[in-house]
Amino acid sequence: MERVLLNFPFVAAALLVGISLYIIIFKRNLIKLIMGISMMASGVNLFLVALGYRAEGNAPIYTEVPAGRMVLPVPQALTLTSIVINVAVLALMLTMVIQIYRHTGSLDAEKSRRMKG
Amino acid sequence: MATLITHSPILIIAIPLVAAFLTPLIGMAGSKARNTLVVVSLTFVAFLVFALARDVVANGIRVYTLGSASPSLTIPPGSMVPVRIILEVDAMSIFFGIIWAIVSLAAAMFSLSHIADETGQNRFYTLLLLMVTGGFGMMFTGDLFNLFVFLEIASISGGALIAFRTRSADTQEGGFKYIVVSAIAGLMILFATGLLYAQYNSLNMATLAHVIQFTASDKIALALLLVAFTMKTGMVPLHLWFPDAYSVAPASITGMLVITSHACMYAAFRVCFTLYGGVIDGLVVGWIIVITGLLTMFVGVTMAVFQKDVMRFMSYHAISQLGYMWVGVGVGLAVLGTPELGTYGRDAMTGGIFHILNHAMYKPLLFFTGGALFHCTGTRDLAKMGGLAHKMKWTAILYIIGTLSISGLPPLNGFSSKILIYESVYRFHPILTMTGIIVSILTLASFTKAFHSAFMGAELPEYEKVREVPRSMIIGMVILAAGIVFITLFPAQVVGWILRPAANALIDQGAYINAVMGAIP
Amino acid sequence: MTFILESGYSFWNPLVWIILFLVMMVLIYFFRRQGQEKYKKDTEQAQIFLCGAEVPAPGERHIRVGNIYWGFFETLKEYYNQILKLHTGIINDYVAWFVAVTAITAVILLMAGLGK
Repeated sequence: MERVLLNFPFVAAALLVGISLYIIIFKRNLIKLIMGISMMASGVNLFLVALGYRAEGNAPIYTEVPAGRMVLPVPQALTLTSIVINVAVLALMLTMVIQIYRHTGSLDAEKSRRMKG
Repeated sequence: MATLITHSPILIIAIPLVAAFLTPLIGMAGSKARNTLVVVSLTFVAFLVFALARDVVANGIRVYTLGSASPSLTIPPGSMVPVRIILEVDAMSIFFGIIWAIVSLAAAMFSLSHIADETGQNRFYTLLLLMVTGGFGMMFTGDLFNLFVFLEIASISGGALIAFRTRSADTQEGGFKYIVVSAIAGLMILFATGLLYAQYNSLNMATLAHVIQFTASDKIALALLLVAFTMKTGMVPLHLWFPDAYSVAPASITGMLVITSHACMYAAFRVCFTLYGGVIDGLVVGWIIVITGLLTMFVGVTMAVFQKDVMRFMSYHAISQLGYMWVGVGVGLAVLGTPELGTYGRDAMTGGIFHILNHAMYKPLLFFTGGALFHCTGTRDLAKMGGLAHKMKWTAILYIIGTLSISGLPPLNGFSSKILIYESVYRFHPILTMTGIIVSILTLASFTKAFHSAFMGAELPEYEKVREVPRSMIIGMVILAAGIVFITLFPAQVVGWILRPAANALIDQGAYINAVMGAIP
Repeated sequence: MTFILESGYSFWNPLVWIILFLVMMVLIYFFRRQGQEKYKKDTEQAQIFLCGAEVPAPGERHIRVGNIYWGFFETLKEYYNQILKLHTGIINDYVAWFVAVTAITAVILLMAGLGK
């Protein structure tokens, strides 16, 4: 039972990535597509944080730490960096979608294909 | 000087970064001061890169440990594994560094007048320098997560630069496609990094390469890393975003994007040869790479013949040329660890890497001439051009140099790398060489077509007022053309100086590991 | 200073080609100088002659890009129809290709390991 509980975050991360891939591939609205990418980022971040978790671990801060194991600090650092990067990507994508909407008056990915072939 | 070289791996990354954030500040003092800052910082970086290259070729791999007492102290005392971020520069990294230094300098020179009429130039140069930082970081880092961070720095600034001309809709669309593809590829790389970290508790590539097992989840991580970098490189069938993004960016940025694509290719090679080098199923992965390369060559060139937009036409050619490098290095991977490596594998890899160098010279040059055409005529549509050689003699001559080089006509440099590839991959499988030659012929045919429709013919009345492009654009193009002429004249010297060491560095996984793990046998 | 690039099978020397190229240029220049004696500059000899028909204006007589290699595209029509269908220009399809190729590569790598 404990194993199942410990693996639960990984299942959730896989579900998040799977659902977001479905959204990105099948939803033609550009805003929904961006939501999908944001969700995928959350899924990957959840995966990273879950990697570093140790059962009943403490926060990895060395001052006045109680006895016992600590969770891994590196995945948390990675997640923080990844969140910052994803905020930048998200902001950039949203500005571009605003510009696309200004020019074409539409958020449909099928209409936003001036370039093909 | 010795101190400078010791610290140059981090300086090469840090100087463009600092200059990027100084740019808006200095920009308030006027555009001349800002342009001087950009050009001077890039020139100094190029100088450092060449100094470091001399050192690396002579003395072997150079490591730089961030935050430790001495840069060469990779493993802290009392620890068994490296915990700090390590930059690791071997011949392969510095080879890409040289390309990036030359092309970014040429692109900055070209931008000076190509962008002169636009608003927001301070931000343009900030992003350009950030992109330079990201590229150098990708090439020099020895840390898998750091690779992801620098990839994202290059992608975000690249995406913003593609969409720099906000007044038309297609730039926004191209930039959006680029950033979506980059974001997804980047997340998959992060996911694969997580998979590797979960098993081996390390992010350092040398440490990982030392302990990697090739379990099932390692294979999935390899597939994710390989395909994500393949997508960012722009290989068929993942090339669809490539012409969309490249054709709308300002021409100087397109030239630089070609090299970020090469940087992703470098990362893919690094993953295959160094990270998984000891355990990889070379034949299978090698064949996957070779088949992707063949598809890329053929589909890229046939699509290029069809195009009517000058930048889009050149982007498809860029895709097609990427296939040659992929085939050359893929053959090397397929025969890794077998006796064939000595007989032809090493030559195939050298040829593939040589083609990267040549492509990095002539493709930005061609993109710049395309940008010069756009600058003068205000259109990218080849059907609307004609007779421009009368007015733009320099551009026409530089275009011819680029064309002859990309088509692999002797005696230009494109030929010397193609002959290396053809003769070595022929012994792996003859079909590779045949495809290569057919693609080369089609390349020449389509460039002739574009040359005819843009430059030849009588002067058209609508382009009576067209003048030759400003001097700084010509200087940017001439820097690259000089590179082409140099490589044309001295192919053996270039191959002996940097390309064979680069191929050997890729093959010799042990040296890469030892440079970091030195104390542990 | 050797200019010879060994390719493992044969060799390549750019100098030979450049010298050959220069010799050919000299020859071409020599033949061109022989020239037509009756040619005079800036007379009607320099005009375009089109079987007596009227010569169109510069903009009209330039062969535009769409008309070049017509036969090539006509022959490969089927191929181009198929390949252009793949280039949809829709961003969602780009990601779909990525997912498909990743899945195929992962399956190939996992299958290849099973045999050993």
